[in-house]
Amino acid sequence: MHHLKTKKNRSFTASIALLFLFFSVIHAWAEVDDTVVLSPVAQAEEISVAGASASGTEEDDWLDEDSWNDEWEDEELIADPLEPLNRLFFHFNDKLYYWVLKPVARVYSGVFPEEMQIAVRNFFDNLRAPARAVNCLLQGRMRNSSQEVVRFALNSTAGILGFGDFARDVLGLDSSHEDTGQTLGYYGAGGWFYINWPFLGPSNFRDSIGMVGDAYLHPFIFLDVDWEVTAGAWVLEKVNYTALTLGDYELFTETALDPYAAVKDAYQQYRKGLIENK
Amino acid sequence: MVIRNIMVQHKSRIVVILLTMVCLILGAGGAALAKGPMDQLQVSVDEIVEILQSDELKGTEQKEKRKQLVLNVVVDMFDFREMARSSLGPSWNELTAEEQDKFVGLFTSLIEERYIGKIDSYNNQKIIYKKERVKGSMAIIYTAIVDKELEIPIDYKLKEEQGKWLIHDLKIENVSLIANYRRDFDGILRKEQFAGLVKKIEEQLENSKQQSQ
Repeated sequence: MHHLKTKKNRSFTASIALLFLFFSVIHAWAEVDDTVVLSPVAQAEEISVAGASASGTEEDDWLDEDSWNDEWEDEELIADPLEPLNRLFFHFNDKLYYWVLKPVARVYSGVFPEEMQIAVRNFFDNLRAPARAVNCLLQGRMRNSSQEVVRFALNSTAGILGFGDFARDVLGLDSSHEDTGQTLGYYGAGGWFYINWPFLGPSNFRDSIGMVGDAYLHPFIFLDVDWEVTAGAWVLEKVNYTALTLGDYELFTETALDPYAAVKDAYQQYRKGLIENK
Repeated sequence: MVIRNIMVQHKSRIVVILLTMVCLILGAGGAALAKGPMDQLQVSVDEIVEILQSDELKGTEQKEKRKQLVLNVVVDMFDFREMARSSLGPSWNELTAEEQDKFVGLFTSLIEERYIGKIDSYNNQKIIYKKERVKGSMAIIYTAIVDKELEIPIDYKLKEEQGKWLIHDLKIENVSLIANYRRDFDGILRKEQFAGLVKKIEEQLENSKQQSQ
């Protein structure tokens, strides 16, 4: 009896999920309906244009007369009460990059061709689709949320476990880049103070809370995958990412006078852009 | 319905012909007419891409020559003096004219170092010109570069001076170059004043010169 009940429960959950998926497909498709005849690239452009106007940030403060002339007025500097510790960890990450990550990533990129590195990146990116879908929903971005559901469903299947980006390449459905930290920012949470984590790199209080949220929405966590596997996957993702961006870190830090300050500011600007969906 | 369709087709064809004629007439007399900021940017970027892709300039032994040719184009795209002024913030006004000139030179080298290194790794990535927004003599151009299947947004802020649009700032993934340097410089200016800043930039340039050798 009990057995039967769980079975029933499961099929109920599955049918709800299917129903949601079905509506998501229709919802996402309705948006691209009149551009079906276009090529995938053209579709992608259509969507991104529609997305840009929908987000409602038509007036870019960059073009604002005041900000143009009075450009010395910066946005507030993020508090950094942990600066000595942050600098220590920055130094640690810097050494980790030059002594471990970079040499490993060099060998890695010598062994695996770029197409494969891109496939690995897609795989890990696909695993974050549930977190993105939930966070789009929490920010009231229904269309993006359903798009993420469709992306996850299609890329996990037709895209072969997410190694390919079928949804983008064939249907022109782009990823939304949302996460929990951005949702908190959307509801007005400031960064509060800067944190430079060892291994994880630049963050702030809000985005660190966000990382916990994202972790709970990650399939590895909710499917209760062994922590060794999770840790191994994290290392692989990090090496793979480094292989794809070799040289960028050096160029940025070597042309900054105080690399710590430059990275701190770049992180803040980058996150602000993401939260405002520019 | 069919007839209407034909009519519509004809109509659009007539419009196209008319437009072509207008363009030809304008083009003949207006070749010297100032082009929009996006067109100007595109011409310069195309020029750089051409240099980087030319077969005669391939290879590491040609790197210096390639760099010089790219620089020649870049120098006409940016308003380095304005960028240097803006990156320094209010401290700029406290400098003597000679100090200002010196700083512009150093700042220019720093920017070149940061971007020429990046530009030189260009390998046929697709550049997308999305849109331009113009307001009087100010403009923003939204572009993106597709690198390893990822679209990286690059926005340019430009100002027009005597018919020429010059770059005043650029944002890569929403990170403004000028704002970033202003923050970077500000911390050093506060502790070590202008002399300390000059020394730091000179050291940095020396370092990167040694590394590229």
